[in-house]
Amino acid sequence: MKTIALYSIKGGVGKTAAAVNLSYLSSLSSSPTLICDLDPQGASSFYFRITASRKYNSDKFLKGSKKIYSNIKATDFEGLDLLPSDFSYRNLDIELAEAKKPQKRLKKNIEELSDEYRTLFFDCPPNLTLLSESVFAASDMILVPMIPTTLSIRTYTQLTEFFDANGLDSSKIRAFFTMVEKRKKMHRDIIDEYRDSPAFLSQTIPYNSEVEKMGIYRAPLNAVLPAAPASKAYRALWEELQSILNEA
Amino acid sequence: MDSREKNIFFHSIDQSESWQAFENSLPAGWKLSPLCSHREERLFYDTFEWQAFSQGMAVMQKKGRLHIFDLSTGNDLSAMSYQRTPSALFASNLAECKTKALLSSCSDIRAFIRLSAFDVVVQTHRLLNDNDKTVGILSSQKWRIAGKGHNRSALQVIALKPLRGYEREIEGFEKSLSGHDALKKAMEFRELFLLLMGSSGLNVEGYSSKIRLQLDRDASIHESARKLLRVTLAVMRQNENGIIKNIDTEFLHDYRVAIRRTRSILKQLKGVFDPAETAHFLNEFSSLAKRTNALRDTDVYLLNRTLYPAWLPPLLQPDLKPLFSDIEATRKKLHKQCCRHLNSADHRAFFDKWERWITHTGVPDKVDAPNAATPTVTFAASAIKRSWKKVVRNGRQISREATDSELHSLRIDCKKLRYLLEFFSSIFPRKTIGPAIGHLKELQENLGSFVDYAVQLEFLERRLVSMPATAGVVAGAAATGGLIAILHGKKEKARRKFHETFRVFDNDESAALFHELSTP
Repeated sequence: MKTIALYSIKGGVGKTAAAVNLSYLSSLSSSPTLICDLDPQGASSFYFRITASRKYNSDKFLKGSKKIYSNIKATDFEGLDLLPSDFSYRNLDIELAEAKKPQKRLKKNIEELSDEYRTLFFDCPPNLTLLSESVFAASDMILVPMIPTTLSIRTYTQLTEFFDANGLDSSKIRAFFTMVEKRKKMHRDIIDEYRDSPAFLSQTIPYNSEVEKMGIYRAPLNAVLPAAPASKAYRALWEELQSILNEA
Repeated sequence: MDSREKNIFFHSIDQSESWQAFENSLPAGWKLSPLCSHREERLFYDTFEWQAFSQGMAVMQKKGRLHIFDLSTGNDLSAMSYQRTPSALFASNLAECKTKALLSSCSDIRAFIRLSAFDVVVQTHRLLNDNDKTVGILSSQKWRIAGKGHNRSALQVIALKPLRGYEREIEGFEKSLSGHDALKKAMEFRELFLLLMGSSGLNVEGYSSKIRLQLDRDASIHESARKLLRVTLAVMRQNENGIIKNIDTEFLHDYRVAIRRTRSILKQLKGVFDPAETAHFLNEFSSLAKRTNALRDTDVYLLNRTLYPAWLPPLLQPDLKPLFSDIEATRKKLHKQCCRHLNSADHRAFFDKWERWITHTGVPDKVDAPNAATPTVTFAASAIKRSWKKVVRNGRQISREATDSELHSLRIDCKKLRYLLEFFSSIFPRKTIGPAIGHLKELQENLGSFVDYAVQLEFLERRLVSMPATAGVVAGAAATGGLIAILHGKKEKARRKFHETFRVFDNDESAALFHELSTP
C-alpha cells in the first residue's frame, strides 16, 4: 500500500481538492483506494456527501484497525472508500500527546488497511502538530500543494527545516504548484525558480473556477467535468506521481 | 476481503414488475437513479467435485475477466483478466495472482470445468438517500441459459447491494422489498447459485469419490454389500466421461479406486457372496484395472513434471525434457487404447451385466455364502478386528532391515483395513472411526511413499538400461541418473522412518480404538 499525505502548514491552498481528485484518479487506475479525512472541518467528507456515523470520533480513530474498518464508507465511485472525519478530530493532538509513541501511532493504526487498499490518501488539517508528525511517519510521500507566492514558499521552507531538525526523511516531501495564474508575473517567476528543484513536481494545476464549484457538484471534478483544464492537469499530475511511486 | 456488505437477492415472480413499484417502497426523500443497462454472458466453472463451492466460492468468467465470488456475500474475492472461455482450465496454468492462489487452494490437480453459460440482462439503479448519496445499488437481472434453443428465462432476480458503511441505512428498504408481492423471500448469493445450477440441470455437490452411504447396522451384510457395490459402480460410471474427454487425471484415479473398492468388497467380505458367482466378475474387474495401470503410471510421472526438475541441479534440468516427451507420447497411445475399451460394446455389456447382478441377486444359499444373513454391524466388527490384527501381526514381524517385499505386503494389508473402515464408517460412532482412520492414515502415507518411490525408481532404472550407448543421450542419462539417486535417497528415508511410524500406529490408543470398533 502506498500512502500519500496531502499536507500544508498553510490553509486554502487546495489540499482537499487535490486529495479528492487524486484519490478518484487513483481509484480508476490502481483501485482500491482509501481517502482518510483528518481535517475536523471534514471538507473531503462533505465533497463525497459522507458523514461519520454518530458513534464515530477521534477516540475510535486512535484505537485503530477494527474501529477504523467499521467506519469506512463507500463513496459513489467504485474502488474509492472514505474514512470520514468527525468534529472531535479537533482534539486529536491532545489525545495523541497522551498516547504511547504518538509519532508512530498512525502508521501502526493503518497497517491492516494494506490488506484491502493499494493506495491511501490523507487529507490533513493545516498546521504543524503532533498529528502532522504522526502523518509524516505513516506516509510514503508528503505531497504539498503550493500557491506560487512568497508566503507559500516560506511555509515550504519551514517544513523542510522541521524535517531536517527532527531527523525526518525530507526526501519524502514533494511539492506542486496549484491555483496557478499564468497572467501573474510573480506566479511565473516563482515557478521558473523552482522548475529544476527535484522536490518539485513539473505538473502544475491552473486556477480554475470549476474547482471551487466542487462544493456544488459534491463530487471529484475529474468525475463531473473530466475535460476541464484543472481536471486534465490533475490527471497529468497523477501520472507523474505514479511514476515516482513506482520507482520508490 | 468481504465479510461486510452482503448482497441480497430476491427471486422475482412477476416478470413485468416495474421500477416504479420499488420506488414506492423507498423512505421519504430517497430515490432511484438509473445507472446502466447491459447484457453479458456469465459462465460458471467448478471442479467435478465442486471444490470451489464447498469452500464457499463461485468461479465466474464474464466480460474478459475471471472472477471469484464469495458465496455468502456475493462480493468479488478476486478477479483477473481472462479472455478465454475454455471447456476446462487449471489453476496451475494461470498467471500468479490472487485468483490463481484461491483456485489452487481448491485444487491444483483438478480441472475447473465449464458448468453452464448464462445470458444475463442487467438493469442497474443507484439507490440515493435524502442527501443524494448513493447508499446501495439495486439491479434487476434476467438470467437465461445461453445458446440456441434456450429462450426460456431461467430466472429473474432483484439484487440489492448495500454500499460499504450503509448496510444499516438500507435495512428498512430491504425489509419492505421482502414484503413485496412480486418478490419471494430474500436469499444470499449461495441460494441464487444453487437455483442457477438447478435450472441448467446440474446437481451441486452431486459427486464425491468418498463413500457417503448410510448403512443400516441391522440389515444383512449381503444387503449392505450390494448397496456399497452400487455406489462404487455409480462412481465408475460418473468418471468414464471425464477419462474419455481427458479432462484431468483424477477421473481415472477415482475410477481405479472404485474398481479396487469393488474387488475389495467381493474378496474381503468372506462368505457374503457365492464365490462361484463372483469369480467371473472379479476377473473382469481385475482385467479392467490392469488396462488402466500403465495409463495411471504415466499420469503420475506427468504430475511430477515440475517436481522432478526441481530436484536436479540447473545443469541437468533441461535434459529431463525427452523423458517427459516420451512419457507424453506413451500416454497418448495408452489413453487411446483405454478409451477404445471404455467405449466398446463388451465393456458396456459387462457393466450392464454387473449392474443387473448387484441389483437383483437374491440372498445366496447358506452353503455357498454362510455369512450372507449376518447383521452388518456384527460382520463389520469382526472383519475389522481380523484385518486390524493382521496389520499389527505382520507389522510387528517386519525385520529391522524392513525389506521391499515386507513393506509392499504390509501396505496391501493396510489398504484392506482402510477400505473396511471406510465401507462401514456410517455404522460406527464418528469419534471412534475418525481417529482410527487417522492413525492408519499416517502409516499408510509412509508405506505409500515408499512404494511410490520404488515404482518410480524401477521405471527410471529400466529406462536407463534401455538407453542406447551413443554420445547424444549422455546428458539425458546423467539427468535420469540424478533422479535415480534422489529417489533412492527418498525411498531409503521412507524405509528408515517405517519402524518409528509403525510404533506410533501400534500403541495402546489405537488398540483401544480398534477394540471399541470390534465390540459393538
